[in-house]
Amino acid sequence: MNERNDDLPDEELEAPPARWGSLWLLTFGPGIWAIHFLLCYVTAAVWCAKVAGRTGLLGDASLLVGLYTLVALVGIGLTGWRGYRQHRFGHADPPHDFDTAEDRYRFLGYSTLLLSGLSFVATLFVALSVVFIETCE
Amino acid sequence: MTDSATEPFDPDDRERQKAQEQRLRKPWEVPRGWRYWSAVNNSDVGLWYTTVAFVFFLFAGVLALLMRTQLAVPENDFLSADTYNQAFTLHGSVMMFLFGVPIFEAFSILILPQLLGARDLPFPRLSAYGFWCFVIGGIFVCGSIFFGAAPQGGWFMYPPLTTSYSEGIGPDVWLLGLSFIEIASLAAAVELIVGVLKTRPPGMRINLIPLYAWYILVVAVMILFAFPPLIAGDLLFEMERAFDWPFFDHTRGGDPLLWQHLFWIFGHPEVYIIFLPAIALVAMIVPTAAQRPIVGYGWIVLAAVGTGFISFGLWVHHMFTTGMPGISLAFFSAASEAVAIPTGVQIFCFLATALAGRFVKSVPTLFVSGALAIFVLGGLTGVMVAVAPFDFQAHDTYFVVAHLHYVLIGGMLFPVAAGIYYFYPLTNGKQMSERSGKWAFWLMFVGFNVAFLPMHFTGLLGMPRRVYTYPAGMGLDLLNLVSTVGAFVFAAGVLILLFEVVRPKKNEPYSPRNPWSAGTLEWLAKMPDESWGVRSIPLIKSRYPLWDQPNLMADVDAGRFYLPDAEEGQRETLITSTIDGRPMQCLRVPGPTFQTLWAAIFTGGAFIFPVYHLYLPALVCAVLAGFAILGWLWTGTAMIPEKPQKDVGLGLTLPLYASGPKSVGWWAMFITMIGDMSAFASLVFGYFFFWTVHDDFLPGPAAGPGLLWPAIAAGLGLGAWALTLLARHCNRRDQVLGFYLSLALAALLTVACSVALFAGPHLSGLDPTTHVYPATVWVLVLWTLLHLGAALIMLLYCVARRAAGRMTAEYDIDMQNVGLYWHFMAITLVVTVAVIGGFPRVA
Amino acid sequence: MTVGSLLIWALVIGLALYVTRAHPEAHGVRSARWLIIGGGVVFPTTVLTALLIYGLMLIPELRATGDIDRRIEVAGEQWWWRVRYPQENGEAVELANEIRLPLGERILFRLSSPDVIHSFWIPSLAGKVDMIPGRITELVVEPTRTGTFRGACAEYCGASHALMNFQVVVMEPDAYRDWLAHQATLARAPTAEQARRGQQAFLANGCGACHTVRGTPADGRLGPDLTHVGSRLGLGADALPNDREALIRWIGHTGEVKPDVRMPAFGMLPVDELAALAAYLSELE
Repeated sequence: MNERNDDLPDEELEAPPARWGSLWLLTFGPGIWAIHFLLCYVTAAVWCAKVAGRTGLLGDASLLVGLYTLVALVGIGLTGWRGYRQHRFGHADPPHDFDTAEDRYRFLGYSTLLLSGLSFVATLFVALSVVFIETCE
Repeated sequence: MTDSATEPFDPDDRERQKAQEQRLRKPWEVPRGWRYWSAVNNSDVGLWYTTVAFVFFLFAGVLALLMRTQLAVPENDFLSADTYNQAFTLHGSVMMFLFGVPIFEAFSILILPQLLGARDLPFPRLSAYGFWCFVIGGIFVCGSIFFGAAPQGGWFMYPPLTTSYSEGIGPDVWLLGLSFIEIASLAAAVELIVGVLKTRPPGMRINLIPLYAWYILVVAVMILFAFPPLIAGDLLFEMERAFDWPFFDHTRGGDPLLWQHLFWIFGHPEVYIIFLPAIALVAMIVPTAAQRPIVGYGWIVLAAVGTGFISFGLWVHHMFTTGMPGISLAFFSAASEAVAIPTGVQIFCFLATALAGRFVKSVPTLFVSGALAIFVLGGLTGVMVAVAPFDFQAHDTYFVVAHLHYVLIGGMLFPVAAGIYYFYPLTNGKQMSERSGKWAFWLMFVGFNVAFLPMHFTGLLGMPRRVYTYPAGMGLDLLNLVSTVGAFVFAAGVLILLFEVVRPKKNEPYSPRNPWSAGTLEWLAKMPDESWGVRSIPLIKSRYPLWDQPNLMADVDAGRFYLPDAEEGQRETLITSTIDGRPMQCLRVPGPTFQTLWAAIFTGGAFIFPVYHLYLPALVCAVLAGFAILGWLWTGTAMIPEKPQKDVGLGLTLPLYASGPKSVGWWAMFITMIGDMSAFASLVFGYFFFWTVHDDFLPGPAAGPGLLWPAIAAGLGLGAWALTLLARHCNRRDQVLGFYLSLALAALLTVACSVALFAGPHLSGLDPTTHVYPATVWVLVLWTLLHLGAALIMLLYCVARRAAGRMTAEYDIDMQNVGLYWHFMAITLVVTVAVIGGFPRVA
Repeated sequence: MTVGSLLIWALVIGLALYVTRAHPEAHGVRSARWLIIGGGVVFPTTVLTALLIYGLMLIPELRATGDIDRRIEVAGEQWWWRVRYPQENGEAVELANEIRLPLGERILFRLSSPDVIHSFWIPSLAGKVDMIPGRITELVVEPTRTGTFRGACAEYCGASHALMNFQVVVMEPDAYRDWLAHQATLARAPTAEQARRGQQAFLANGCGACHTVRGTPADGRLGPDLTHVGSRLGLGADALPNDREALIRWIGHTGEVKPDVRMPAFGMLPVDELAALAAYLSELE
């Protein structure tokens, strides 16, 4: 790590402004997962309690879950894409551990990308439920 | 270091350094004699905190041994059912609330500033207050068993067993004693979040912070969202216990499942709140053992943040057998499987680091390996119980007991033991013996597996958990006996470990500095260390500065970095920007005081007296606690400095005061209010939960609090909010009359708003004991009224501050923070009004 | 699932030993990165996806309750089980602390609780389902072999949670029908002299205020129905075996056998009266 560190000047050249690399971007992927998860749970709970009844079919609720999933996956995908572009800023590979604004920027992008990947899989997992379960029982 | 390393090292320089050290030592001195207990230094408070948490751990461990003795043979009568039930309840509660969570707060208070090269945490008095709350509450809860008055509902206290079917004060001890400690946890969370985000050394950008700090950040944020639902649940629970408001009583429309939801929304994240900091210790030890930077830093950040989020989608897997719709089980099953992915990633990052480095064996790595072996097995059984059909069998049996101990002891106790061995030199400059460490490890490791492995089988054979006895001849006899033997072997290992910790080491030489050749800043510490923490605050350029920045230790020692001096005799540390670690402010932190101890004692009284239905003393204590806290704020916060800025070294001049989003106080207020909002959201969740599951929850629009009074309250409250913001504006512009007028009017409107809000349910005759609907409306109103009360005090506080000259147009932290509070106040009020007044009309 | 878990455990531990003990020297960073992606991401995600799908596929089958005719209602009470077998005529036979099932039929248990949360569990036959005040929960059981199995309360429910158990007997369908028909009959009158005295003592001491013995004036509903108590396999929710000695102990020292139990102990009764009570009750077959 050390020798590479010395290759780079300490001064920040073409530093992306700190707001680009806002910490919040990290939370977008899992945040979308969380909202998706809650919406699915609440939709199913209200549907089974107020609409279909205890032994009813999920019917439209499944469709809604499918719709949420579509929107969520697009959102996570976009976040991930944004993260990927940040990660590929300039030319550098992980671990993005230089003391520069660029590497800080790349690092946040990289972590965002990874988190989006996890959120993508986790969202798909949740959506799998309505594939296999068709009733409120 | 580049710029200052070129300076000549002449005698004058040495003289100057000596003088600096003397000046620096003075303000950071720890008080002596009985005044020692007024110390607020993170190194002392952190050490007390750790010690007390371990005392509680031992206490709960002894309870466990008593239980294992009882279960050694079938139909034993060593303990009565009553005592046994108290023992397992306290064992679980103490391990979770008084050891599992606090130990991480304690450790973090102890080492986080060192890790970040900071002099102290931003709110040392808050840490001390949290610590004293923890001690008082903990002793109260643990002590109850000596009077046979301990709770006996299990650590999750399911009503109605604990509401309508428990005599005595047990459940109240649990509820009030632990709520009190939960508040201490929230205080620590605020402290640690601000600590990680704002007190990093200059140059430590977000991509360079030690992994421990990442984990602590995630965990502290999790606390903000996990503990408040439990506090809200405790509030509902205690209202039912003390005043018969029927939240969990099904005969009056309540529902015992609401408690389970609130408890597990807290309870499952809590497992990760316990587990992640321990993994954070591993993330510090493994790179040191491998003598190379961690492989997959980004992956670990992914794992920490990802686990933090997903762990909030697991709570229902503790409720799989409550007969919920299959689709709900499916959602939570899916999330429970998903959370295993980030957990696996972390483990493989550690393995990859070990692979890529040259691995050096030591006692800490021995414990880490043991942790891995145990935790992985616990994780795998966790994946199994996440499969709902398997859980229907395993739930509430010894299989789950085995699973949770594998996860918690493997995922938490073993890493903590590793951490103790690893960080021990930081506390007193001595090292622990390797020989006894090996003994402790092997006894603990073997004992643990002998004790808990058989429980998987006893569970699958049909032994439910929490039974004080079991019949002979069901195939459980031998397995239980083996478990008991294992438990004692395990305990022997723990004893050796503890003996090694407390054994006097006066005659042993001090450890060399940085004994493990680690790369992170905490090892800058001298052996033994000075109470100022770090001699000068270094400029950081790497994730492992001690490895990568040549001559760092010498430069730090020579005071060639920031804040090498304390010319004004004040405790000072640096505040830096969140993302890039740019120096922003030189923060003056307060020194020793007994005020926090008094505040904790009175807060304790306010929580403990209600257990005995002594409401008047409780009220007196609450008022006194309020005064103690106000006194502490008045004398120790938002102090106007004698000059606007100072030279902190290396040619850098920083302001001594910052307000608004630049001040740490603003951040603390913001973070606290996020926690407050999640408690409020839990109460609102309760309202809609009842509405969803009970068709007769809403009695029809006529019987509610109506729309008129709530709407008036909202109008008045929003007026007070606007006036508060106006007062902030006037203060900034130094328009004194406008400031006082708008604050006075805001205070009046706040009072009027409270009256109007109260009038709604009061005038429509809602009696909270008749049905859960009025009770829910009242609890929302009560919550909002309490916040209005606090808002009123804050407004008056601002008036007094300005009048006393402690707040000016420029130095306006108080007014800024009160303005921030009012934003949240307005949200609380509007949501309450919309729910109690508006929703019945829409539904 | 268990075998899979053990395999994965062995793999991870093997790997850990390999990197820390067998070959502690430094390997390439590249291989370390692949280890994270392969072992930490791809492999777990694949296994977990498969496991999740398997688990999800099982849920609908376990939950389908629509077409089941044979129902049994069980209420968990501190600390015993009230069991009702609904009959075709709309009435129900109420028994306690023992459940009998016909072999090979799907049975729907409807579970409830009047006091605290209990959990109904017959480990050998099915998973557990909680009994929650204010709700009715359901459990489907399909016994596949005859025999006697043990059931237990799995949710902590108070002092004597450990002693809230029951026996389950799975019988051939014909035998089951005969058994249920017999259980529906009224109690038989005591024959032996001692048992007759026992019945008088039973009524005189107010046992009937809580217990029902169908066909006699005893019609209390608080405690278990005792009409055919003599035919059961255990006493006090399987806290004791069912014989005369145990009956005497139970009636005389109830709270010692079962802490905090609602039933008062009748230890003040003369020994021969206790023996008579025991004789009467064990004759109720």
